[in-house]
Amino acid sequence: MIIDSFSSFHPIVNFTYFSAVLLFSMFFMHPVFLGISLVSAFVYSVMLKGKKAVKFNILYMMPLLLFMAILNPAFNHQGVTILFYLKSGNPITLESILFGVASACMFVTVILWFSCYNAVMTSDKFIYLFGRIIPGLSLILSMVLRFVPRYTAQIKVISNAQKCVGRDVTQGNVIAKARNGIKILSIMTTWALENAIETGDSMRARGYGLPKRTSFSIFRFDNRDKVTFAVMAGLIVIVLIGAVMGENTMRFFPSIKTINTTIFSLVVYTAYFILCMLPVIINIMEEIKWKYIVSRI
Amino acid sequence: MSEKQPAKNGISKRTLLATILILFIIPVTILFGVFVLNDRKYYFISLLIIIYTMIPFVMVFENRKPKARELIVIAVLSAIAVAGRGAFFMLPQFKPVVAIVIITGVCFGAESGFLVGAVTGFVSNFFFGQGPWTPWQMFCFGIIGFIAGILYKKGFLKKTKLSLCVFGGLATFFIYGGIINIASMLIFTSQFSWKALLATYISGFWFDMVHAIATVFFLYTISQPMIEKLERIKIKYGLIETEDEAVSL
Repeated sequence: MIIDSFSSFHPIVNFTYFSAVLLFSMFFMHPVFLGISLVSAFVYSVMLKGKKAVKFNILYMMPLLLFMAILNPAFNHQGVTILFYLKSGNPITLESILFGVASACMFVTVILWFSCYNAVMTSDKFIYLFGRIIPGLSLILSMVLRFVPRYTAQIKVISNAQKCVGRDVTQGNVIAKARNGIKILSIMTTWALENAIETGDSMRARGYGLPKRTSFSIFRFDNRDKVTFAVMAGLIVIVLIGAVMGENTMRFFPSIKTINTTIFSLVVYTAYFILCMLPVIINIMEEIKWKYIVSRI
Repeated sequence: MSEKQPAKNGISKRTLLATILILFIIPVTILFGVFVLNDRKYYFISLLIIIYTMIPFVMVFENRKPKARELIVIAVLSAIAVAGRGAFFMLPQFKPVVAIVIITGVCFGAESGFLVGAVTGFVSNFFFGQGPWTPWQMFCFGIIGFIAGILYKKGFLKKTKLSLCVFGGLATFFIYGGIINIASMLIFTSQFSWKALLATYISGFWFDMVHAIATVFFLYTISQPMIEKLERIKIKYGLIETEDEAVSL
């Protein structure tokens, strides 16, 4: 596992990248595009999370993929190439199996991209990006994110106190457990509400909502970000042109049909591949740079 | 009386925006899906529609320039709901989120109910994992809170245990279950068919049932103390102003 330098880029670069790959992955059913996206998402998730991701991908994603691939032909009987008939008389077609496999790949790819998104787009980046568009709501979001660990800690304090009188969630039968849980929740609610008003008043005392206040931000859009953003924008445009020209369309029903591979489609495939692999490429480049600098010293 | 004016404007602005969205943008999106994407991307189109429906709430809330105390109460209630979801992690589907959202809707009005629901859906997935299901959960929780607030204002929903439990059970089973099952079908098969929908509803029946029972259970046990606490805070600090208070000003 190497250090993910893509995470250190400006949030706009991160967010644009993930929006682009997520949208493209949801849209493109063409096998080449699916394959590129799936492989990139897999490689990047392993790069981000190491062994844990490999285990997760094989333990959960593979069975999910198989399950979904089987599920589709059971409900979908379109297509011309009939392989065999079910007992109920419904045909199982080659097209519906392939469509099932393709949509399963798509689903797994989207899940994998989201797992990468969770690792890279931390909540502070999200709030930094949307703080100007939705200031009130993003303040709420950041407060909730801060409150939750705080309340979990407070719940532990309360629950330890309750344990002394035999009323913890680990004590008694199921009904007693649930009842004790609610009691703890109730104690915490009273504490939280009183605490909240104090926080609100202290915010007002420090000038929340007054005009001409600056916002805290630690992100700078430097040259590295500009170059990456420009490259990314160029690749997205190429892929979009390809999409408009129909390079990625794939017809499954009634019979499978794709566009013939031309030089232009190879260009689009390459662009999509580079786009999806962008963080991986950046990471490898940084790693090489790092090794090179180290060896010179 | 001057306090009441912006609220009135807000409602009409929201209605206008909602009308534009429903009458123009949503049909255009559906037509775009049918003609440009060859009617294959149900999931993407439905996701867009779900996001559209949330925009008016967010815009009205931002335009109103909410006060610090109001923001923090919404944040606290969402955090309680998120923490509650976390506290009951060992019992699948047995979660207090809907109950807390309904209580918020009843005590602090439809808008706060929607925001607490949507924020809870969003934030709790930072802890449980974001995914294509996030906007759906946000919408389901939000709309239940919104409906609870409206029904309370219209007088159909009372602050009594019975009334809240009946509403909570029905809302969780039909609104949350009804919408989430459609979503999970679209996520899994990315294609619409009535048979698959029926199969999803049947396979999801017990999950929805447990969820609905949990909501009824939580409303039965925590609604009265919780409402009491919220009312106390509201009176003690003069929080989010209710209608009669605005009139008296």
